Amino acid sequence: MTQQWEATVSDEEKPNEKARAIRARQRAIGRELRRMYDDVAQEPVPDDFMDLLRQIDQANAAGKKS
Amino acid sequence: MPAPGPVPQTGKSDAPDFKAELLSLVPFLRAFARSLTGNPEAADDLAQETLVKAWQNRSSFIPGTNLKAWLFTILRNQFYSDRRRAGRQAPWDQEAAEAIPGASGGQFHAADLSDTVRALRRLSDEQREALILVGAGGFSYEDAAAICKCAIGTVKSRVARARKTLIDILDGGERLDDTARPAEGDAAREIMAQLDRLSPGQPPKKRGD
Repeated sequence: MTQQWEATVSDEEKPNEKARAIRARQRAIGRELRRMYDDVAQEPVPDDFMDLLRQIDQANAAGKKS
Repeated sequence: MPAPGPVPQTGKSDAPDFKAELLSLVPFLRAFARSLTGNPEAADDLAQETLVKAWQNRSSFIPGTNLKAWLFTILRNQFYSDRRRAGRQAPWDQEAAEAIPGASGGQFHAADLSDTVRALRRLSDEQREALILVGAGGFSYEDAAAICKCAIGTVKSRVARARKTLIDILDGGERLDDTARPAEGDAAREIMAQLDRLSPGQPPKKRGD
């Protein structure tokens, strides 16, 4: 598809430059998304989660006894 | 990821090991939940629900397969079922909903979010989740397809369209027509799905960008 497109417009529009610009923007967007995701992933896990896992532990221990 | 033969973790793959693994993956659950909901509190509720569900269903997890993808699948299911349930309840007070940052498909919580992250809110659910899984979460197209329960080609086309739509939004074009017009998307999706069926076993490509 890209080849076809380049074949028809390459002379007047410099599609390579355009494609490069698009790729650069997409890379920037990718970095931004990873930053958003990694920022959360790097936060310390809130105590609520530890409490929940402790409860799971206790439920598990109780389950084994019965 | 096709499991390279279940790793024998016989007997007590149960309690402490499984729990430790769950714990190690909590940061990623929170990150995925945050990107789906756009709201820190709702995201943590969702991640906790996911942990409980995962624990309750731990016997259905096949040791040696991708636990992270399994958990993400649970989280995603929970997200959509919670939202369906909320949708069936009395319609919210729109004004109140809009007053809560992050509520009802609105804005992210923090004030200093980038335009990209704000634009992400305006993608369709399908495009957003595909883009997050592949573009931020580092999942292969194959794993993302398993999590979203669709064909690999469908994930690829959703990610491609998500990137394009984000650029359109950022350029101020507001060209959301692509996402609002399902016919075109479905046709492309079907073609991609057929391509997938024609070329099975193709290793998922990791993209650097």
